[in-house]
Amino acid sequence: MTSSDPPVPSRPRSATIILPPEPPPPPAAARSAAPTTVKPPENRAAPAPAAPNLSAAPRPGDATVKLTIDGETVEVRKGTNVLEAAKLVGRDICHFCYHPGLSIAASCRQCLVEVEKNPKLQPSCQQVVGEGMVVHTESPAVLEARRALLEFTLKNHPIDCPICDKAGECTLQRHYMDHDHQLTRVDVPKIRKPKHKDIGREIILDAERCILCSRCIRFCEEIPGTGELTMTFRGDHEKLDIADGHRLDNAYSINVVDICPVGALTAKDFRFAVRAWELKATPTTCQGCATGCAIELHHKHEAAHRIVPRHDADVNGHWMCDEGRYTYKELDADARIRHARVDGQDVPLGHAIATVARRLRGRAKKVAAVFSGTATNEANRALADLAALLGAERFVVGRVPGKTDELLRDADKNANLRGAIAASGAAKHEGELGLELAGRAYEAVIFLDGTFELSDVVRSALGAITSVCLSDRVTPLAQACSIVLPATSWAETLGSVINRQGRLRVLQPAWRPEGDRRERADLIRDIALAMGERDLGTNRERARAVAEEFDNEELLALTASPVAARPTLLRFSHTRG
Amino acid sequence: MTIGVKKVSLQRTTRDQIFLPAILEGLLTTARHFFKNTMTKGMGDVDTIRYGEPGVDPKSYYPERFRGVHRLMFRDDGSVRCVACMCCSTVCPARCIYIVAEDREDNNEKGPATFVIDELKCVVCGLCVEACPCDAIRMDTRTHMTPTEAREDAVLRKVDLMSRGGPSVAVQGGLGADYRADAPAADPRFVGR
Ligand code: SF4
Ligand code: SF4
Ligand code: SF4
Ligand code: SF4
Ligand code: FES
Repeated sequence: MTSSDPPVPSRPRSATIILPPEPPPPPAAARSAAPTTVKPPENRAAPAPAAPNLSAAPRPGDATVKLTIDGETVEVRKGTNVLEAAKLVGRDICHFCYHPGLSIAASCRQCLVEVEKNPKLQPSCQQVVGEGMVVHTESPAVLEARRALLEFTLKNHPIDCPICDKAGECTLQRHYMDHDHQLTRVDVPKIRKPKHKDIGREIILDAERCILCSRCIRFCEEIPGTGELTMTFRGDHEKLDIADGHRLDNAYSINVVDICPVGALTAKDFRFAVRAWELKATPTTCQGCATGCAIELHHKHEAAHRIVPRHDADVNGHWMCDEGRYTYKELDADARIRHARVDGQDVPLGHAIATVARRLRGRAKKVAAVFSGTATNEANRALADLAALLGAERFVVGRVPGKTDELLRDADKNANLRGAIAASGAAKHEGELGLELAGRAYEAVIFLDGTFELSDVVRSALGAITSVCLSDRVTPLAQACSIVLPATSWAETLGSVINRQGRLRVLQPAWRPEGDRRERADLIRDIALAMGERDLGTNRERARAVAEEFDNEELLALTASPVAARPTLLRFSHTRG
Repeated sequence: MTIGVKKVSLQRTTRDQIFLPAILEGLLTTARHFFKNTMTKGMGDVDTIRYGEPGVDPKSYYPERFRGVHRLMFRDDGSVRCVACMCCSTVCPARCIYIVAEDREDNNEKGPATFVIDELKCVVCGLCVEACPCDAIRMDTRTHMTPTEAREDAVLRKVDLMSRGGPSVAVQGGLGADYRADAPAADPRFVGR
């Protein structure tokens, strides 16, 4: 391989995705006329947004090349770049503009390395690996180039880290500390550019902090295909801006905040809320829709502050939608149900469980068990066991459909409708539940979650019968039910959901539940025990069984140890972006 | 020069376990200092200043860098210099600084909506002052935290801290009301719309 080899081809700019017009959610009447049994939806393996530059590790069957990086010989996938190959030998070449989920621009030149037999330093992000190539990533020329380029990048940088939301997870800060670490030599005034400019529904731009890497521009062009962002002017005065008369309003816009290596693009929702280094991160799964994107929940003192996507090549690539980012709002501490409530009175949990058991007992009683697409597999399976004990009629309910597109968002806003339907067996639709409850067909009903659209007729019907709701927050349904058991929210639950592709997605608890809140499966186990029935198994045992059934390593590892996994403190983790 | 290594046994001897000799040793040290500083001629090696003695301003004896009760400094327009960067609350070993940031909606962008120091928890280490990038928090008041009757009274709020404040001449974080006021304005040709 010599310098005459062609560079890695950039991804074609034709990835524009035309968003179909949003189908309006079906009216309630149409939904109640749906077929009697709910069929599991087809596996919709919507492709994850393709990542153009795959990891360098060769998979079976891949053509490979051998090259030497800093004296270590490594075999990598043919066609990958030197930057990815260097990761395999533990070299993290510092870079700004390269992002594994985007095309390659090679504009920042921060990733220069020395390739033998090559007169000039090469950008490792664009340099394709070649057989027998010899690369040096730490030679004096490389170190000097890195330092000089950083100094150049910082020439007009405002360095307002104290008021910058990215501080603590800023790539520029990290590279400065690692590779530059010298006093400024600039004695001319810095170029001024617009600060705190509102450029969209979610985003504020600080053009001074921008290091002109063009990641955000490439993202808007290649992933949602909307292309709102562009560079204006040249040289020292080059700055990022939005196209005249437009705003950065696409459904995936907050991703630009994650990929921006500096604090030029900040999210309004997270702006000044909390410093990045105070947060803890728990890897879990987004509960916003049936796609089940891999996410990290960032939290401090049992309060969630933001959600960022985690890389998962099979499901969401590097991205997630803006709607999903806001699902943390339902974890709001003010709406949490902390104690059991029976007939409007807060009571100890044991007392409430005994009351439920007493009121449900009696085989002749007509009971409805309502499974939920917003609860985990473990909870739904536990309810299935309880329904079998009670001889109950089964229903599946969930949230109303919402917006969709061909990228990530699914119209089904339930994270686990598939799992709920599978666990419940042949179950009836929520429309029928409304009708039958209104017709007073049941003496008792047990809801697995608090999400259900209530009509006034159903509300008054619920007041007249034994209605039990396992809910983590105050919802209209929880307020209408006579007994409310405090369940854990998705941020406190160990469990799994099944996404639209039929994949098992894992939920990991971020903090210990407050008050009397317990996992739903554990609450149901306690109800069965209080009724004098057999032990249905704890949530952890169920999660273990699900993990073994699906052979899911992540969940197996989580259930292997009896202690909950500890979240990472962001202060000690890598920078993002 | 070689450095000698002394191996210390972590095994507790009987003497350690009964504690009494250690207590007596401690008492002996206290007693030795007591007699040395009160009975010997020239009062040993310490000066005891009687606080509030007529004619003596106790503050005049305080060393230059005495760390007194905190205060928050101003910008030229009288608003607080603090930009709510959380450096002080992060470095504070006693975790006694609580800040809630807000958008100031001017060119300084960020400021504290709430700034509270619990002086009862504070260990008077001065790390918060060292950490502050804007010369916003200082401990140069040369006053002790006054004793209070209720615990809440020792929890100082932004107004309390600013009541002792003054303008700062530090260059960090800017001089004027707007920290960018001294900077040349953006070239209008390149600002765009
Ligand atoms: S982008 Fe990074 S270096 Fe620049 S002000 Fe923000 S934290 Fe500091
Ligand atoms: S705003 Fe951020 S991502 Fe966009 S070009 Fe500037 S530095 Fe890069
Ligand atoms: S002096 Fe030390 S303990 Fe007191 S507030 Fe400052 S950092 Fe915290
Ligand atoms: S370090 Fe200074 S500027 Fe930052 S929050 Fe504390 S007092 Fe305010
Ligand atoms: S990362 Fe290679 S040139 Fe920017």
